[in-house]
Amino acid sequence: MRVARISFFVALTAYLILILPFTSHLKNRPLQLKVGYVPEAKALKFITADQRYAVADWVILKVLFYFGTLIEKAKGANVYASNPDYPGMFRVLQTGLRLEPYNADAYYFAQAAFTWEVGRYAEVNNMLEYGMKYRTWDSQLPFFAGFNAAYFMKDYKKAAEYMKKAAEIAQEQQFATLAARYFYEAGDTEFGILFIDMMKSSAKDANEKKLYEFRKRALLAVKSIENAVKIYKQRSGMAPLSLDELVSGGYLLAIPRDPYGGKFYLEQDGKVRSTSKLSFAGAKAAAGENQKH
Amino acid sequence: MSLNTLLILNIRWIIRDRILQALAAVSLFLIMLVPAISAFSMRQTQELAVTLSLSFVSFTLLIFALSLGSTIVWRDIERRYTYTVLSLPLDRGGYVMAKFLAVALFLVVAAALVGSCSFIAIFISSFKYPSQIPVQWGMIMIAIFMDTLKYMLLAAIAILVTTVSTSFFMPFFTSIAIFMAGSASQEVFEFATSEAGTRVSGVVRLATRVIYYIIPNFSAFNFKLQAVYPIPFDPKQISYVTLYFLVYTALTLSAAVWIFSRRELT
Amino acid sequence: MTFPIEIESLAKTYRGKKRMQVEALRELSLNINQGEVFGFLGPNGAGKSTTIKILMGLISATAGSARLFGTEVRQAAARRNVGYLPENPALYDFLTGREYLSFVGKAFAMTDGAIAERSGVVLEQLQLTDAANRPVRSYSKGMVQRLGLAQTLLHEPELYILDEPMSGLDPIGRSLVKDIIRQLKRQGKTVFFSTHITADVEAVCDRVGVIAKGKLQALDSVDNILRSGVEGYTVQINGGGDLAAHGYTQLEEQGGMREFLVPKDQFNDFIAQVAVEDGKVELIETKRKDLEEFFLEIVKQGNVSA
Repeated sequence: MRVARISFFVALTAYLILILPFTSHLKNRPLQLKVGYVPEAKALKFITADQRYAVADWVILKVLFYFGTLIEKAKGANVYASNPDYPGMFRVLQTGLRLEPYNADAYYFAQAAFTWEVGRYAEVNNMLEYGMKYRTWDSQLPFFAGFNAAYFMKDYKKAAEYMKKAAEIAQEQQFATLAARYFYEAGDTEFGILFIDMMKSSAKDANEKKLYEFRKRALLAVKSIENAVKIYKQRSGMAPLSLDELVSGGYLLAIPRDPYGGKFYLEQDGKVRSTSKLSFAGAKAAAGENQKH
Repeated sequence: MSLNTLLILNIRWIIRDRILQALAAVSLFLIMLVPAISAFSMRQTQELAVTLSLSFVSFTLLIFALSLGSTIVWRDIERRYTYTVLSLPLDRGGYVMAKFLAVALFLVVAAALVGSCSFIAIFISSFKYPSQIPVQWGMIMIAIFMDTLKYMLLAAIAILVTTVSTSFFMPFFTSIAIFMAGSASQEVFEFATSEAGTRVSGVVRLATRVIYYIIPNFSAFNFKLQAVYPIPFDPKQISYVTLYFLVYTALTLSAAVWIFSRRELT
Repeated sequence: MTFPIEIESLAKTYRGKKRMQVEALRELSLNINQGEVFGFLGPNGAGKSTTIKILMGLISATAGSARLFGTEVRQAAARRNVGYLPENPALYDFLTGREYLSFVGKAFAMTDGAIAERSGVVLEQLQLTDAANRPVRSYSKGMVQRLGLAQTLLHEPELYILDEPMSGLDPIGRSLVKDIIRQLKRQGKTVFFSTHITADVEAVCDRVGVIAKGKLQALDSVDNILRSGVEGYTVQINGGGDLAAHGYTQLEEQGGMREFLVPKDQFNDFIAQVAVEDGKVELIETKRKDLEEFFLEIVKQGNVSA
């Protein structure tokens, strides 16, 4: 009796001592442990029997959860606390889609997370191509693919094809003309802002919205610098050498802040760049470089 | 008359089973989690809600079909109830049929109950975050109906296995194995009979064919995808699958009655 | 004429593991008459339960045939006029006693009214009225046995087949069962029950069949067995001459009283001799083997022959 009572309280104390480090350890697991080991799609197809779609949705949802917690951590600070395991996440998404090619979340998430940040737009476009075969009613997938082709890959011919497809599905000619105007007249940055606005308007998740917010702020900053460079060129007939020149010349009120934590600078041809490469990962790498020096 | 008596007896048995009551409560609780879980989706809350709901319904029915199908005859034998029941002027065919019908009826009631709860869950999710695609209530009902048929067939198979076996584990795991194989057989079959399949050896292809025609094709009963996404489907498939269910279940139950009538209750 | 039970050359061979064959029953032939109480006596594993299970259609015979009221035991209809109590019965424990009887009554196609009426009677008879609305799960072993017996009485069949009806019961329960069997006999019903306890047979049976090693070793009326079991007499004599000189065994002497053991075939000679010697017979007691000795002897013989 007495022994049991004592041992109960000892065990309870031990539990209370253990639970906090235990929880924080689990919270900081790498993706493989957090998302769990996801077996080969072929094997999953067999084991999951008729629960295949739910399992696929769940696997994809787990990636969203994982990513959500990372964004949560970035709250306030501009830099990711840890490096997200992008290749791992991508593999899991692919597995999920092999089980259930209709899952819209996977395509949206791939578009949102793997293009700007990690530059895997070619793979994302492959994924979108795959999805178009199934989600035949969805105009967003060709629209994404078209954007990627134009904005990242500068393949305007391919982009036009995708946009045409998107317009056909959506039965809105606007789509194609809008896209075309931005390709040829407005330039990349404005097209990017438009795209981000569209993504943001259909997003319901706060973390996801926050992500677009960052991107849009960065693009607006770039846009303001680009405008200044444009006017400078018109007036002086040559490209500015530095951002300071734009500020001292009164073309720019101040150098805008890079929301990703980098510093904007001008390349020799007048293109606007940032040390963060406009991504959290890039900002972190840049910060690391600085520390080394 | 006697079938009726046995049916009432078995239904009483099932609804007085505490474990089944607990399982039903758990599954209703899980269904109520659907709106919360599907809210995590970025772009397809409603689709996820439908997928999860159908999944829970299906899983609940799977558990019921397996646990009831593989125990309802076994328990009578194990606890020696057979001596008192089968020594009454009842024939064994009616005895087996009553067992199946009680399980089937229970599955229908469970599907209706859990199904209506999932309707509420789906309604909540789609109301909060409507999708481009309107909820296809009719298709969802068809999917649940087909699932019910599927698990009735699985229960019939479990009963057939218990008429042969004396242990609990053998029928239970055999039924699971048949269910898994039956859910994947269509794809394996299609692969083996396709161009790509010619790479596989002839013996394997023949075996695949044989197994395909012997074990029940459970994947044919899967209408979940059509209930979630606007995928065209042939209404003829419903009649085909229903017919397949009737014929295969009749076949299974006939075998079960035949075997059980000859069984020695030592 | 049809008998309540007709058994013809019945045989049952179980196939055990490793191709072992067990002959549980060999060439059993037996007819049970209308209105008799028949005791099926045998040691454990003699084939009693096998015989009864064949009669109830639970297992099938390897050879031979069996009929209840002329109907082959394979048919469910054969059991329509039978009340059967299995050995250590297991009854659906999720039902209450009354619900269980109602289920049994429906199986015998009784009307709801008849079920309600008869349930009340048999529950009272077996002293289960208080427990009638409790689930069987809560019953003691003896109560389950009594409910099983109530089940056999419910539809008032002509034939009762009881497998070890007294096992698992306390002395009060045993005497209750014996009373019920006697009562059934008075009503002209046929009772066939198996047991390994000779006293039960002696108490209620008209006829007994002894089975051992799957073979019927003896079949006779209880009266006959008891009569044939008489080995001799002990006779108490007052006075008389030297009877021991004539070869009779003297057991005891007390006062003027002497006690002799007289074999059955010498009894008349002995009495004549007593008369000649002017003795006086005070008391004659039959000295016989009881049923138990008879039973043990048969079982022993059966073992030798097998």
